[in-house]
Order: sequence, then C-alpha cells, then structure tokens
Amino acid sequence: MHSRQTIIEIFSTFVQFSDDRFHSWATDAKLRRSIQACVSKIPQEINENYWSLYWYNSLQSDVLGVYAKQHLIAYLQEVCYYSSQKTANTFSSTQYKLPDCFQIAIASVDKIFKGFKANAGYNLKNYASITFSNLIRETLRQRQEIDICTPWGLLRKISQKRLVESLQLAGLSADTVKAYIQAWNCFKTYYVPTPGSSTRQLSYPDKSTWEAIIKAYNSHITQQILESWLLNCAKCVRDYLYPQVTSINISPTGQDTEWLDNLPGEESVLTQIIFQEEEKVRNSQKTEINTILTETISKLEPQTQQMLEMWYRQGLTQQQIAKQLEMQQYTVSRRYSKIRESLLKALTQWSKETLHISITPDILKNISIVIEEWLQTHYS
Amino acid sequence: MTLITPTDIILEIPSTVPTGQYSNPVTAYQGYINKLCLDAILPWIQQDIAPQTKIWTSTTALPSFWELVNGTVIILDDKRLVLVPSEAIDLSEMRVPQEWVDIPTWAGDYYLAVQIEPDDGYVRVWGYCTHEQLKTQGNYNPSDRTYAMDSDFMNDISTLSVAQQYIENTRSHITELPSLPLTQAQNLISRLSNPDTIIPRLTIPFEMWGALIQHGGWRLSLYQRRLGQPENFSIIQWLQTGVSEIAQNIGWRSFDLLQSGARNIEALQQVEFSRQLTIAGQTYQLTILPENQTEATICRFELFNTIGALIPNGFKLRLLTEDLQPFPNNEDVATNPVQQLFVEVALSKGEGIVWEIEPIPENYDREILKF
Repeated sequence: MHSRQTIIEIFSTFVQFSDDRFHSWATDAKLRRSIQACVSKIPQEINENYWSLYWYNSLQSDVLGVYAKQHLIAYLQEVCYYSSQKTANTFSSTQYKLPDCFQIAIASVDKIFKGFKANAGYNLKNYASITFSNLIRETLRQRQEIDICTPWGLLRKISQKRLVESLQLAGLSADTVKAYIQAWNCFKTYYVPTPGSSTRQLSYPDKSTWEAIIKAYNSHITQQILESWLLNCAKCVRDYLYPQVTSINISPTGQDTEWLDNLPGEESVLTQIIFQEEEKVRNSQKTEINTILTETISKLEPQTQQMLEMWYRQGLTQQQIAKQLEMQQYTVSRRYSKIRESLLKALTQWSKETLHISITPDILKNISIVIEEWLQTHYS
Repeated sequence: MTLITPTDIILEIPSTVPTGQYSNPVTAYQGYINKLCLDAILPWIQQDIAPQTKIWTSTTALPSFWELVNGTVIILDDKRLVLVPSEAIDLSEMRVPQEWVDIPTWAGDYYLAVQIEPDDGYVRVWGYCTHEQLKTQGNYNPSDRTYAMDSDFMNDISTLSVAQQYIENTRSHITELPSLPLTQAQNLISRLSNPDTIIPRLTIPFEMWGALIQHGGWRLSLYQRRLGQPENFSIIQWLQTGVSEIAQNIGWRSFDLLQSGARNIEALQQVEFSRQLTIAGQTYQLTILPENQTEATICRFELFNTIGALIPNGFKLRLLTEDLQPFPNNEDVATNPVQQLFVEVALSKGEGIVWEIEPIPENYDREILKF
C-alpha cells in the first residue's frame, strides 16, 4: 500500500480492496471539493494533525458534522488498514482476512470519536490504532465463541445491552424488544447449566425448565411462542456479530445523503491560532512524558523490557510471548499489567505534582491511554 | 485466549472446591460462578496488589450471600471491592445488583467486572468503576434491580492499584434504610423462605428487602430457613445437644467447667459457650455463661483477652434485642484498662439477642442468639 501525500488526498480518499489486498485509493468527489475549499483558505497549513483536530472539533456541528465524520474516516484509512493487517497476520489460518478485519474496524469508528479526547493529550491516529486493534480482536473473539455455542448456550453468554442492540438492529419494534427481553430474562434465570459441565453446548431445555420459564414470564403464553422468541433472539445476536456486507468498496458518502451546499472553512483562521498555542503546550508536555516513561522503563528488569519489545515491536500475541519465555499466558497477562502499573504510577505522580490536579478515575483512564499510545510509538 | 485485549487481566481458575449448600439449582449455580470468580481473583489481588486482602465477612458466610444475590466483597486495606461475575462474552456492560450499591453496610468502593469462562477455566477482569461512577454514570434498571454501567465508562483494570493509592472520593452518598420491626422481619423471613420463591430479592420492595438482609442475623436466618435447616443459634439447643455444626464453623465451642478444674463445685455442672475474636490485632474470647442450666433465663456475656492482657480503654461490649434496640444496662465500657467486660441479661423463651463489640472484631457478622 502506498501512503497518501497531500492534505486533499488524506481527507477525501478511501482504501479499495481487490483479492483481499490493497488495490487503490478511491476519491469521494464531495469530500474532495469540501477539503479543497478549506485548504484554499489557509494553504500554508499542511499539518495533518491540524486538519484532523479541525474536523474532530466539527463533529458536533450541525453544518459541518456530516462532512467532518467522513473526512475523519478518510483520514483514518491507513491506521485502520495497518491495524487490520497486524491482527489478520496473527492468524495462521485464512479464516480472518484483511478486508474482514478492516470492515469490522471501520464499522465501529464511532467508538473512536466517542472515546478520543484531544485535550487529554491523545493523538488521534495513535488512539485509533489502539482502538481499532482492540475492536477487531474483541469481535473475532466473540465470533469464535458464538460459533461453538448452541443457541441456548449463546443466550446465556450475552449481556442484556447487547441483546437489546441486536434486536434493535434487526428492526424489531419497541414492544417486541421488550417482550423478548422479558422472555430472555426468565430463560436466563431458570435455565442454568450443571456446575462443571459445558456452558457452550447447552441442550434444548427440559420440560420442567420450560414450565418454570413460562410461569416466570407471568402471562398467558405457550412454550412454542417462547421458544420461537428465544431462537429469534439467538439469531439476532449472531447477525449482530456477522453483519451483512454488501460491498466494502463503496464510498461512504453514497448517493442518497443530503449534502449541504455551503462548504466549511469559515472559522478556520481562529482555530488555527488556538491550535498552534495548544500544540506548543502539548509538545512540551510530550517531551516531559517521554522522559519519565523512558526512565521508568530503563529501570525495569531485563526480561520485563524484553516483554515490551516482544509485544509492541515484534507484535507477538500474549500466547506467543508466553511460549517464547516458557511461562503461562496468565503470568504474561499479570506481568504486563504490573508494567503498565509502574508506568502509570510514575506518570500519575508527575501529573499530580506538576499539573496540580487531584486524581479521579477519569484522569487515570486518560493517563493510561496516553501511556498506551506512547508505548506504541516508542517501540514502533 | 489469543484475542484477549492486552489491558485486561486473565486469571486461571484453580481446581474447584465445594461451593456450599443452596436451596435450589438456580442459586446453587450462582454460588458456583461466584466461587470460581473469587478463587481466581483473591490469590491474584493478594499476590500482586495487597497481601492482607480478605473476604467479607468470612468464607463460611459466603453461601448465605450467594443464595440471595450475585457478587462477592473482598476488603483491600480500607476499601471494599465488589466482584461482579458474569458469563456474558460481549463485555458491553456490567450489571451490579442494587444490594451492593444502596445498602449502606454492603456498598463497595470499587466494582470489578469479571467475565467467567468455566469451559476454558479462566476468568477475565475487564474493567472497574467506583461507587460514585456507578451512581452517576450507571443506569438503574427497576426490572432486575441492577445498576448497569456501560463499558465505555469503565476504567482500565491495570489502573486499579494506582487508583487505590491516589483516588480519595470513591463513594456517593448512600441513604440509610428504614429499620424493620421485629414481627415484620420474622414474617418476611417465613414468607421468603418458601422454596418456591427462587429469587426472593425481587419479591418485596427494595427498602424492606435491604433492611432485612442488611442485618447479618436475619440474612443468616433466611438462608437457613430456605435450606430447611433447624435453628442453629439456639442456646437452649446447645445446652441440650451441643453446639450446632454451623455455629461451630463460625467458631463457637462449648466448655464443661468441671473438666477445666472446678471439681469442688460438683453440684453446679456449669457449661459455657465461647468463641475467639480478633480485635485490633489481639485475640479475645467472648463467653456466654447461662446461669440456669436448663432454661437459660439469665445469661452473662463476658469478653477478655486470651493471654490475660487488660482490655484497653474505650472497648465496649453491648447487647441488643434481635431488631437491634438497646435496653437498660445492656452495655459495659472500659473506662480504664480492665480484666474483663461483662453484661448480664434476663431473657424470656424464644427471645433473640445480638452482641456487638467496639472496636469491631475482624470478620464480624451479626448473629442472633436464641434463647
């Protein structure tokens, strides 16, 4: 894959696949006109960070929102591509191909916009890279799990939130969703596996279990109806994890979206000044963070440092690291957590002393993400 | 386990041990899942975060919680961690039963979301939040009385031990529950101990339910009745047939005073009951001496240090009625260091007594002694 060069390309083109590999960059004409108009206002601004933050800040805007999202999706194409490639490569089988992973990731791009915090010192590309990788891994893990579950096992292994989302995605009415959820709750309460036996291969509920479920549902209903509802729930949950993909090679703005005629770009100059100020502060903080984290890592035991190398530089999985170091995956997981803890402690102490902030769970969450981003960049 | 998000922690479930007794397969399974969760997590916290972490209230009391509600509390330094196991693989949300949030003595500082994978023998700790976050960012669901926390709001688990050191405010305000009159509590216990009531927690209003099970003695009594067990804390029964097995598990023992050296007063065959308690790092003994050996109408409760040291200033031994009401002369306070604290009480048949000590003994859980 060749990376895009100009601001106009970066914010208006999309990856096209052919035979499960990168094929070309396709331009979306509307996005191209939009970014062209913006760039012509401040042609000297060729920093992609500036433009990405500009669009990020416009996400909530009535006028610009719809453009902003598509520009950012265009912007994140490479990141998404590399995260997908990395994850797809950890599978020896051809079960999960690069375009599948890409599709999973880009479909969840809203999670990135929701979780990203520019003022907490995140970098959008780094944050997206981490989030895309986690999203792909998570989705594949859940697919693996549901593939080996019977419908009854599956129904016991999902959260209510996910079930509601799945039923809504399937287009069921609010009343139907409510009835299904109630039925599912009764099922989940009264159909329990035998301790020690498989929780995935649960068989068809027996007569007394059905009776208990019907009684708990507390209204006149037949076993047949309840059964069809529950099986439909299971189907919707599967469909949620395996959405129908018509074609991945469709430009996201499509034909039917209503685009506004007035192109963005009016308040650019002011934001640019603020951006430069903030960029200065961010850069000086980044240098300090870099010093603290580098120092903390240099004090870690050699084997611990080796683990970081293996994870971030070589892109090995926990399982592979465990094998190479001849330890259990559980040990790797715990060690890894300890490493993050020591980095977090160092940076939290620094934040408390130099920024004079009192530490809240949200601040810890931010610091933790900054560390993860830093590790990714540091070892890349 | 190739696809686990690296910031989560995966822990092996050690080979399982018996999970205790339950009234039906549904609650037995709840007990089983909670046991797997606790067995995997407690050793990890003790080894990697704080070695002195312990179970609330005690290992023996766990089934009486799991018979009624999902979740387990462990105490890490001065903070309470509520372990919330779930078998959901999608990690979209953590659902915390209301009991662990709105009962003042049950509430936690931190809530840990734990995914249990019984088939593969591991658990995955994928996030946590504080009581304050749960109350402000979580959604309360009246249908199953849970607070649901969206995964987007959960914190990365590797930040837990740093949070433990740096975060001061973990709790939102919790409103006290109304107190429950004795007869009402006893009626509720009879009603909810019907084995057909598989899930008692949703059958009565939360305030009433919370007030009932907040009282350790009533919680235990409900548990025993649901299992069809006889009264395990009847002093009269103990006098006749010895201390019940359940009470022995908690630590109660009987001692025949004749055997311990008082041979000269052969006429008074005196039996006493006692259990050891750890209070402020020292071992104490709480002893009950029934004066009338057949009816136990007058009893003397004594507290003393097992190695004969004096009881420090400020220690209190207090007796309360079953519904926790004080009565005249129900308390002895050490205003100077003393050899022992004692309270004498006259009782009528069937009456229940609850003892309290200040400072609170380790693993303290209220118990109702019946006379």
